Amino acid sequence: MVQLASMKQISDVAWEIPPSYKAGMNVPARIYANKTLLAGMDAGVIDQVTNVACLPGIVRYSYAMADAHWGYGFPIGGVAAFDLEKGVISPGGIGFDVNCGMRLIRTNLHYSEVKPRIKELVDLIFRLVPAGVGVKGSQSFGQSQMGDITTLGVRWCAEHDLAWDDDPEHVEEGGFIKGADISKVSRQAVSRGISQFGTLGSGNHYLEIQVVDPARYFDRDLAKNFGIVHDDQVVVMIHCGSRGFGHQICTDYLRTFESNMRKFGIEVRDRDLACLPISSKEGKDYYSAMVCAANFAFVNRQIIVNQVRDAFSRVFHRDAEALDMHLIYDVCHNVGKVEHHTFDGTSTDVLVHRKGATRSFGPGHPDIPAPYRAVGQPVIIGGSMETGSYLLVGTKKAMEETFGSTAHGSGRTMSRTAAKREVRGAELQKKMLERGIYVKAATMDGLAEEAGMAYKDISEVVETMDAAGISKKVVALRPVGNIKG
Amino acid sequence: MAFEASSNTVSGLFESCAEALTEIMVDPRTVKPRVTRVFEISADTLDRLLYDFLTELIVVKDVDSLLFSKYLVRVDPVGNSLKATAKGEEIDRGRHKLRNDAKAVTMHMFGVTRAGRSWKATVVLDI
Repeated sequence: MVQLASMKQISDVAWEIPPSYKAGMNVPARIYANKTLLAGMDAGVIDQVTNVACLPGIVRYSYAMADAHWGYGFPIGGVAAFDLEKGVISPGGIGFDVNCGMRLIRTNLHYSEVKPRIKELVDLIFRLVPAGVGVKGSQSFGQSQMGDITTLGVRWCAEHDLAWDDDPEHVEEGGFIKGADISKVSRQAVSRGISQFGTLGSGNHYLEIQVVDPARYFDRDLAKNFGIVHDDQVVVMIHCGSRGFGHQICTDYLRTFESNMRKFGIEVRDRDLACLPISSKEGKDYYSAMVCAANFAFVNRQIIVNQVRDAFSRVFHRDAEALDMHLIYDVCHNVGKVEHHTFDGTSTDVLVHRKGATRSFGPGHPDIPAPYRAVGQPVIIGGSMETGSYLLVGTKKAMEETFGSTAHGSGRTMSRTAAKREVRGAELQKKMLERGIYVKAATMDGLAEEAGMAYKDISEVVETMDAAGISKKVVALRPVGNIKG
Repeated sequence: MAFEASSNTVSGLFESCAEALTEIMVDPRTVKPRVTRVFEISADTLDRLLYDFLTELIVVKDVDSLLFSKYLVRVDPVGNSLKATAKGEEIDRGRHKLRNDAKAVTMHMFGVTRAGRSWKATVVLDI
């Protein structure tokens, strides 16, 4: 439980730790949390968010969002922006699973049509979308294609009939981040990733069939703008990332960064905060490789979307276009990006690290796709498989306060081992079915680890960020079918 | 997911760490020793050697779908190199009791230490 005499309350949902708290802090730490979340936050968050504040070239604040919990180096739920000339880039500030993120697909199906066929649908998707240890995807590409795929992301998919024409526009960054360079990626990373396109992974990754919760519509007009047009509309949410490809890139560069910090006179309080100047050769190489991983993840989620469209089409005997299975949006929640921001009277490019945090750009931002630009960027925040998720919208306040960033999910409150001690997977599966959620999991242990009670209350997280004005609630999404690795 | 391993020899320590990695990913009793793979690795330090060895096992799991249940590791602690023979088989979802998908070895608390005759290692895996 967090209790700090030096912590200043800024509002009902925002707290600050001044630089005087710890020697070496270059900026204050800013935590977004209501009193309940703050009381439940592990002490590691304070330690980590204030360690990040010590990194060279950090600007404004070291942030912890409402779902923050302990991570490797940076807290999960951490955001930090760095001056491009004086600042550093840190793989720990992005995470092993580069561009772990969320994609939301709409349908024109009502739950009444899906409910009688939910088992058939989930079972089919479970067969079509590999999940779990050592799985391989059904979509195979050649080594020679990896360069183009990881440079062009979803745009490459559209050019090769693996995406609909409007898919890239409905993905963060238009489906690919600029700056990828496959020559900066190791042979091992390519070998790991090449057979994993279209796979879900394991752990907290999932594919969920959800229903719009009519009792929790917060802004019907905005929901309509995002393609949510009727009560009990069925949508599909995908949560996964860059698989072994991204993990290997992080592994490779953590090794490189650790070996080279002394050369730049950098010392960190925590080995997991290994970092190098953004402007260094190694820093630039990592950025280029990390962007390859981010684009890999966009493509991975795209291949899975194709499989989901296929499954729906087979079960409902209509093609996916007739089912209106267009993308609502896709967001990254583990990424580092060069973005243009205005702060402290200046307008400049900074490198924003979001680790377990989501971009939340406000109305009018040129990076938001045209259909949404007037209202703001869709934000997808995923809850546990028992509680459901939320669709929100980015705000002007996020641009002013948090480098356009908000929370990403619930955040764990309990270790996997502890969760397995409390819950039996088979029993949980049965209870969820009784509550109308049909779950198919690769392992029962994996299911138990993902029990709802192992996570923070997603509504508290979402309410906090809404109250802070950082991301505004649009509608809640209730789970009815789930696939877990 | 974290583990601590110990042994009276550095080679035994590396074997224990490899076995712990396997144990996290699968029930090793369900993995038959049908395939043999030899690993020859060298590094700057003993820490790095262990890091690279465990990383290589994770890579082989993803690239070749191989899991191993038996290890024989010979570490040269002076030269910071090793030769390891691992026996296992291709992943069979019908027969193997699969557990967690280990995706990376983290730097968190990572280290190889020696106290008297005893070698110890602490490893945290990202799963």
